[in-house]
Amino acid sequence: MRLGTVPSAAYDDLPYTRGGAVDRAEVGALVQSAVDGDAAAWKALVEGLSPLVWSVVRAHRLSDADAHEVYQTAWFRFAQHLGRIREPDKAGSWLASTARHECLKVLKNLRRLTPTDDPQLLDRVSEDRTPEESLLDSEDAAAQSERVRRVWQEFEELGDRCRQLLRVLMSSPPPSYQEVSAALGIAVGSIGPLRQRCLRRLRARLDARGAL
Amino acid sequence: MNDDTTHEDYRDTLLEEELRRAAAILDPVPAELTRIAVDAYALHDLDARIAELTFDSVTDAIPVRGATDVPRMLTFTAGEVTVDVEVTGEGLLGQVLPPQPAGIEVLGGPQQTRSLTADTMGRFTTDTPVTGPFALRLRTGGEVVVTEWTRA
Repeated sequence: MRLGTVPSAAYDDLPYTRGGAVDRAEVGALVQSAVDGDAAAWKALVEGLSPLVWSVVRAHRLSDADAHEVYQTAWFRFAQHLGRIREPDKAGSWLASTARHECLKVLKNLRRLTPTDDPQLLDRVSEDRTPEESLLDSEDAAAQSERVRRVWQEFEELGDRCRQLLRVLMSSPPPSYQEVSAALGIAVGSIGPLRQRCLRRLRARLDARGAL
Repeated sequence: MNDDTTHEDYRDTLLEEELRRAAAILDPVPAELTRIAVDAYALHDLDARIAELTFDSVTDAIPVRGATDVPRMLTFTAGEVTVDVEVTGEGLLGQVLPPQPAGIEVLGGPQQTRSLTADTMGRFTTDTPVTGPFALRLRTGGEVVVTEWTRA
């Protein structure tokens, strides 16, 4: 998978392929096909960009109810504006930015605010199994599963700035830096250095717990 | 760039991949939400004019000291047509400007619609509370106007 015009030196220097369902360079073409009535193109857009929208919402730590509503609002608005989006190849940034603004509204509207320090989150997975998790189960995965939980727990305990950035960066397929910028309102140029600092902070925490 | 730096960058990348896998396992997009987003294709409507949200009391109003539970005020604008909406616990209270009768659908998502009418003065009300994302689809004269999707 190739990534159009992403100024992400931190990635480009590495033997690292960004895997994923939608090639970001194809997003513009998919938007055009969807405008022309191709429902399959719309579905491909949803599958490729839905994790990004969800990551933006989760990065802002809304309650589950608010998170669901913001996610839906972003997609409804995207569908509504479909034929009028000026830069169709930047649909990911459009969605990320729309989701961000809705998140900020929720946070501003304090009476609705209930932060998700959801202690259930880690336990909940056992009820609703994702394909990835079933895969983990089918392998001799107790240790791996433990590692995943450990990484997640340390990630959740990072400071707000790092937690936000990493939550968006970890969406799948990996977002472009323009999308991350739209999702969090930070300059594209500051993402690389901040990413490095946050990942190293997380690594240090994991090392300190002897988890590596 | 020396080898150490490259190695460190590589470890960063591995950790990011690990986080990506963890997110897919522990915090994936709920399946029902993906389904709703797929269904949202039905909401794309090339014939309607979009009335943009031009005022929202949550972001644009100066808070009144001591006032709690103030109603949410929204204004949508499409050219010369304006729709003012007040969201209360009981429902919506609205005004189409310039004043004119209109057929109005309250959309709550790809599958949810309720119909009502604005009187000759352009006033309309709903008697059931609106929660979550909503949009109004107005027919006035020969024109269809849809308000931007917004959360109530």
